Amino acid sequence: MTQQQKTPLERQYGLLGVMLIAPTVLVFCAVIVYPLVSAIYLSLFSIYTPTLKGDWVGLDNYAELLSGSEFWSSLWNNIIWTVGTLTLQIVFGVGMALLLHQNLWFRSLARSLILFPYFVSTVVAVLVWRWLFNDLYGILNHLVIFSGLSEMPLDWLGSMPNAMLSVIFVGAWKYFPFVVIAVLARLQTIPEQLYEAARIDGAGPISRFIDVTLPQLRDVLVVIIMLRAIWDFKEFDLIYLLTGGGPVISTQTLPLLVYKEAFALNRMGMASAYAVVMMAIMLVFMIAYIRRTGRADS
Amino acid sequence: MRNLRTLFLNLFTWSLVLAVAFPLFWMVVTSLKPAFELFRRPPTMLPETVTFEHYWRLLTETPFLLYFRNSVILAASTTAVVIAIATVGAYSLVRFSYRGRESLAFLVLFTYLLPSVVLIIPLYLFMVKLGLSNTLFSLVIAYTTFALPYALWLLRSFMASIPEDLESAALVDGASRMGAFVDVILPQLLPGIISTALFTFILSWNEYLYALVLVNSDAARPLTTGVMTMLISAFNIEWSLLMAASVMMSLPLIVVFAFLQSYLTRGFGAGGVKG
Repeated sequence: MTQQQKTPLERQYGLLGVMLIAPTVLVFCAVIVYPLVSAIYLSLFSIYTPTLKGDWVGLDNYAELLSGSEFWSSLWNNIIWTVGTLTLQIVFGVGMALLLHQNLWFRSLARSLILFPYFVSTVVAVLVWRWLFNDLYGILNHLVIFSGLSEMPLDWLGSMPNAMLSVIFVGAWKYFPFVVIAVLARLQTIPEQLYEAARIDGAGPISRFIDVTLPQLRDVLVVIIMLRAIWDFKEFDLIYLLTGGGPVISTQTLPLLVYKEAFALNRMGMASAYAVVMMAIMLVFMIAYIRRTGRADS
Repeated sequence: MRNLRTLFLNLFTWSLVLAVAFPLFWMVVTSLKPAFELFRRPPTMLPETVTFEHYWRLLTETPFLLYFRNSVILAASTTAVVIAIATVGAYSLVRFSYRGRESLAFLVLFTYLLPSVVLIIPLYLFMVKLGLSNTLFSLVIAYTTFALPYALWLLRSFMASIPEDLESAALVDGASRMGAFVDVILPQLLPGIISTALFTFILSWNEYLYALVLVNSDAARPLTTGVMTMLISAFNIEWSLLMAASVMMSLPLIVVFAFLQSYLTRGFGAGGVKG
């Protein structure tokens, strides 16, 4: 980079490099940068969705948002959902990865089965779970009554706190395989000598896990937690399809609020303001993740 | 003692695995039960009579095949467009030096994490203005917003793992830069490309939000929103039919799992989760 004189070949290569990245840059500008900038711009207007006409309102949308209670309750729901489902994902995920790392019968089949919920469409996952949660004929309510836990069928999705717990649980079911695969890949690279050394020093299985496995997993866990926190925070499909944010707005997170404002209440400007604020909150996590990845790269 | 431990470990792990897989098992079982058996209490674990009537009705009486066709076109064209752009883009990001390269890589990662709901309102307005709403083409455009950063990021790490010497050797032998790319890099990158293509295809196949907002007619509706419309519009929810639709919708995935699973696990390793 400090070299001022470039050879003709280097200059030619530079040009070729720019040409090869040009399609990417064009598409990025058209479908990501331009919409991103206009989202911020739109948030300064009051737009009625069916006519798409609007007036300049400046920062009024933001003032209304910060003083209204719906934003704060949705943000709170969003935090509960993210922390709840992420915790379950990490606990289940690490536990399952440790189990699948052992010598099992039909180990690769077990790994495939675990992976399936992650790749199946959210629509499919939600349909299946809504059938399992069904009031009268769902197998979960059958189990609840059969085991004597409750006399009456439970309302899994229509009342609180059941609805939030169900959503958190289904989210954990859907996304914990990601943690399993990532942790499993890391487990396979831990040198066996470390365990042997610990064993010679008289460490039992639990202290081997705490003193050998966990420190080795630390880095990968930090990355997984950041990545999943970002993805869970912006989750729309799963919550929207399971409860639609209900009962009333008890499970409504920020992405659902944006959708509702824009396409149900027809206030596009307001919706953009919500989206921009949501992105600003996420930016903290995103920058943390990007900085960390940048460090790992170099 | 040791055998007992192995036995216990296996039973414990396998019961957890089966519990995780149970909803998917239940989906298949429900789709095969005749209507009268569906509402029996207690429910039968395996169908007493196996019927394919729900699948038959799904294919003949509902617009399922149309949605399926739309989804195939949509996911395949998104994958083709994205892989073509991302392969040369990743090559440029990894093997060339020019101003702004680092910030571009940063932008790719940033957009990879960006929430769709931020982009969806401007994209909706954009499509309405261009008269593209309610077309599959508008969804292909919208899907590139998440698929392109994703594919670039994956391909970038696959590309970085190909030794640079291979390319240099070809250049010394007189190959041009693009010649070396086609003859040396592409064959080496092929497993990475396949794995990225699979992930892109699955992502596009499963996408819901853009399809919900941008398309409002059966002619361009993909499976995700199409099947949900079947749920909402039905007078009484027909669970067997919906479960049959869910099974059919997961078919491409089952094919990938059966034959190409190693590519999926490879993609995970490259997806930026290595510590």
